Amino acid sequence: MTQPAAPIPVPGPLLPPAEPAVPPGETPSILRDLRDVGRDLWGARDLLLQLTRRDVTIRYKQAVMGFGWALFMPLMTLVASVLIRALVQTASGKGMGPANIIGMAVKSLPWAFFVGSLGFATPSLIANSNLVTKIYFPREVLPLSAVLAQCFDTGLGIIAFTLALPFLGFHPTWALLWVPLLLALLLLFTAGVCLFLSCANLFFRDVKYIVQIFLTFGIFFTPVLFEPSMLGQRLSRIIWINPLTPLLEGLRLAIAEGHNLAEPLRQVTAAGVTVVLWTPASLWYSGVWAVAGSLIAAVIFHRAAHVFAEYA
Amino acid sequence: MSHATVQLDHVWKKFRRGQLHDSLRDLIPAVAKKLIGRGPKADELQQGDFWALHDVSFEVKAGEALGIIGRNGAGKSTILKVLTRILRPTRGRVQLTGRVGSLIEVSAGFHPDLTGRENVMLQGSIMGMRPAEIVRKFDEIVGFSGIAEFIDTPVKRYSSGMNARLGFSIAAHLDPEVLIIDEVLAVGDLAFQQRAFGRIAEMVRRDIPVVIVSHQLERVASLCTRAILMEHGRAIYDGGVTDTITMYVQRASQQDTETLAAASDCPVRIGSLNVTTGNNYESGTTASYEIRVETLTPVRQEIEPLQVAVRDMQSGTLVFITSASGLGVDIRQPGARTLNGTLQLNLPPGTYLLETQVTDNYNHRAIAVGPEAVLNVVPGRHFRGQVQLNAELALAPAGDGVRLDAAG
Repeated sequence: MTQPAAPIPVPGPLLPPAEPAVPPGETPSILRDLRDVGRDLWGARDLLLQLTRRDVTIRYKQAVMGFGWALFMPLMTLVASVLIRALVQTASGKGMGPANIIGMAVKSLPWAFFVGSLGFATPSLIANSNLVTKIYFPREVLPLSAVLAQCFDTGLGIIAFTLALPFLGFHPTWALLWVPLLLALLLLFTAGVCLFLSCANLFFRDVKYIVQIFLTFGIFFTPVLFEPSMLGQRLSRIIWINPLTPLLEGLRLAIAEGHNLAEPLRQVTAAGVTVVLWTPASLWYSGVWAVAGSLIAAVIFHRAAHVFAEYA
Repeated sequence: MSHATVQLDHVWKKFRRGQLHDSLRDLIPAVAKKLIGRGPKADELQQGDFWALHDVSFEVKAGEALGIIGRNGAGKSTILKVLTRILRPTRGRVQLTGRVGSLIEVSAGFHPDLTGRENVMLQGSIMGMRPAEIVRKFDEIVGFSGIAEFIDTPVKRYSSGMNARLGFSIAAHLDPEVLIIDEVLAVGDLAFQQRAFGRIAEMVRRDIPVVIVSHQLERVASLCTRAILMEHGRAIYDGGVTDTITMYVQRASQQDTETLAAASDCPVRIGSLNVTTGNNYESGTTASYEIRVETLTPVRQEIEPLQVAVRDMQSGTLVFITSASGLGVDIRQPGARTLNGTLQLNLPPGTYLLETQVTDNYNHRAIAVGPEAVLNVVPGRHFRGQVQLNAELALAPAGDGVRLDAAG
């Protein structure tokens, strides 16, 4: 195509207005993008809170179960785990104690959080397209408010779980100090995935169906209903590739087994085979996924955000 | 005092006709290039692209109210979207400092299941108000909207008018340093419209930069100090608001004529329009005109062979329409004729356009546009309002006076 009649020299990258001018020739930098994301989100913190409140309110308004929703999904997951465990352990002729139930419940909550967040956050930009095309605000608040609303649900679940703990014969240990770190990594990882998927779903509307399929089968590749060690040495390695595995197993070991996650944990089976239950390196693995993943997702989202209004 | 600035500096915006990217195969390379900042021709037209904004520059200073007028699709709303950061310009720079109040889609953030109260908090946050500020202004907002008794009702049970009134009330209580308004001038019923208009007028007068997009030309005329006429993405005229509106109205009728010239199967030709009493009239006096018409073929019943109309050049609205048939003159049979007519200009002072055309009564569209003439109406007997009623008032003869308190 030929140049239109009056060409205008373009000074460097085109920035949104209300930002300091960028010296010509400076390339877009990831650090500046991250700083912008941080500044935008801080500026929009009230909006983030209001949207979270909206998402929570409408989820419980005119609903059969009301706040029961917060417990429904984790409880169903727990029942399924108990069933599967009962099957396995009946076959192998071992009993099931309260500690096992704690271990299973501990993993059903974060899994419900992850599934719920993705389910609400992925279509969030499209569901709010009337806002995206009409009003300016940092678009990150839409998927993030879906994640925060899910945090509220999960928070209720955690409270219910904590209240049930004494009846399951739970003894607190120092290993509980690992829990906040694990939850923070889970939140970070989920937020990153949600930012990326909501952005992708804006461009391709079938992403949300792909996500649903992944989540449906994801439960087989995530140790929610089982423990990696049940799969044996070779298959369990595949499960440990999943960045969620160290987080879920870490929570189980720290809460149900009282294991200090800085130490590796091995188990010798009846057949004399040593099975690795935990290595501290796997926590680093998840940590890198959570931190790097969320930062990369934030940069991608931020750079794509200026065309959202044209696609929404 | 506000030192906010609004500036568009050689802004171009590219849009694509049809789908943006058909498949993953198109999108992945495009996005990849964009992400590494190396889209080679990202700011040039590709096949199927067009410039929604074509080198638009303007600046709005504090205390100035800029109107943007033009036909649908001329780029008016695109300017506002570029200004408010919803869209990023393909080329050029946009500068807008200060807290922006946009009266655009004032109830876009409403959620039907939430109550009015909850939606005020939500929409206020979306528009950039702090929670404490919303709480402080809450009563004022609800009071202005006039729907206080329904404030705890879910918005889904609101009528569309109530919805819009609540949305407008929130926006109207922003405390902006820059005001941007898009077609929210017609909200709710008549009483609310007047209240809303008064509120906007009040906000406009705050010595801040204001940008208004509207098709209601008389509103633009009364609110704005300056106006830009947009046509196919270009700002083709930038000047005083009256000049720009006159330009718009004239160009609109010219374009009509151009499109009509092609369809020349019109049974009637309007040859000339001659206003015999000149161009200038005192309000309430009568203008005489002469029209030469030639009917070429018998005119079907649904066609009006001659329509005469008067258009207010300031607002662009038609203030009066009549026709040969309506006045009992039959020119449906072939032949060349001369018609003499009069119009009593009971109009407020202003510039008017006397228009002639052949009209299809079925859809009220012009089949052919005839010549036009300008009528200047100057103040005659004093009055204010929209119609000159030739009011008379005199003192009754002495002695007929009746004491009011003694009347009953």
